[in-house]
Amino acid sequence: MKYTNPDLRNALAASFVLGTLGGAARRRFVRLVANDADLARMVETWENYLTPLASRVAPVEPPQRVWRAIEARIARTQNQVRASANASSTGSWWESLAFWRNWGLAATGLAAALMIATAVIKPQPAAESAMVAVLSTPENVPRMIVEKHAGMLKVKVVKAWATLPENDLELWVVPAKGAPRSLGVVSHAKDSEVRMANLDATLADGAAFAISKEPKGGSPSGAPTGPILCSGAIAKVPSQRV
Amino acid sequence: MADRQAFAELYAATRAKLFAVSLRIVRERHLAEEVLQDSFVNIWHHAGNYASTRSAPMTWMTAIVRNRSLDILRRTGWEVQDEDEVMTNMLEDPAPLPDAALGTNRDAHDVHRCLDELDAEQRQSIALAFFHGLSHSELASHMKKPLGTVKTHIRRGLLRLKDCLGQA
Repeated sequence: MKYTNPDLRNALAASFVLGTLGGAARRRFVRLVANDADLARMVETWENYLTPLASRVAPVEPPQRVWRAIEARIARTQNQVRASANASSTGSWWESLAFWRNWGLAATGLAAALMIATAVIKPQPAAESAMVAVLSTPENVPRMIVEKHAGMLKVKVVKAWATLPENDLELWVVPAKGAPRSLGVVSHAKDSEVRMANLDATLADGAAFAISKEPKGGSPSGAPTGPILCSGAIAKVPSQRV
Repeated sequence: MADRQAFAELYAATRAKLFAVSLRIVRERHLAEEVLQDSFVNIWHHAGNYASTRSAPMTWMTAIVRNRSLDILRRTGWEVQDEDEVMTNMLEDPAPLPDAALGTNRDAHDVHRCLDELDAEQRQSIALAFFHGLSHSELASHMKKPLGTVKTHIRRGLLRLKDCLGQA
């Protein structure tokens, strides 16, 4: 069978995800996907199309022994990882943790932003403890990403805001207790960087970032005056210690 | 350890849904338990791969569970069950709630709406394949239709779903 015809490839990807591709063809397809990024994308597209159907399946509680078995199997491999790979710096161990850490975000309603967050985290085997937040609107639409880098914050625009002739966007760090602290005005349309002298101290007890709409030049009072357009909890990603 | 705690919470939040998805496909509880176990060990080890996907977390995990279920189903050579049982299993969850927190809700509305727009036979064959893991030949014998007809229903149904979802 030829696998170069795009329609055929798409049909096979759909059939694989639906489950009607079976037997030897299924196994062969799995091997093909492993080495064919374009085909893998097609599979992912169909997964995104069809898998949400499963959301209406009535839940059934599994017995407790399933979790005990999972824990036992994980503990076993984890001990092997510790014993054999103490000096390994591949980062795969920590990378996988990004998912659990971000699960907290998903559970608090930021799931749509999760994939962006992990995509941001993954390429940086950061030397220092990294901070990242995906800022979403009250409707849960991710709009901006804030990442901590050495000595500065990168503010990335996921989706540009409409031009605001009368206003500026101002970034705030919201500490666990107390009032938001200004991090300055950021661009509504393109990525920007925030640099300030006492940045680390300003961020030290930060729990979330938020963007508010302010008059040109930023809030005159030092506290947010306009509406909060988007906000997001800060996820701290562990540094890699070798 | 914090990550184990997060993993335990993830399991607690998703186990019943994912177990149900698998149970419909593999049909037997002990097989669905095996699927759930394998899938979560897999999720633990390969969560790093999640970063390169464009999927909501629940979609990513459900796909892992469905793939494992289909592997095991094909391994065991399961036979078609009777119609009543299939239809009973197709009853919908009246309260598909937790997914609001898992980022699949909007997509779920779209795909259900698009599925509703298909012809009855297209819809039925796609639903039977998706939820119950029926192969083409099992679909043909279940729906009492020639194999070629069933394949056409599925192919056309999938294309229409794609068109519908592509616009969503």
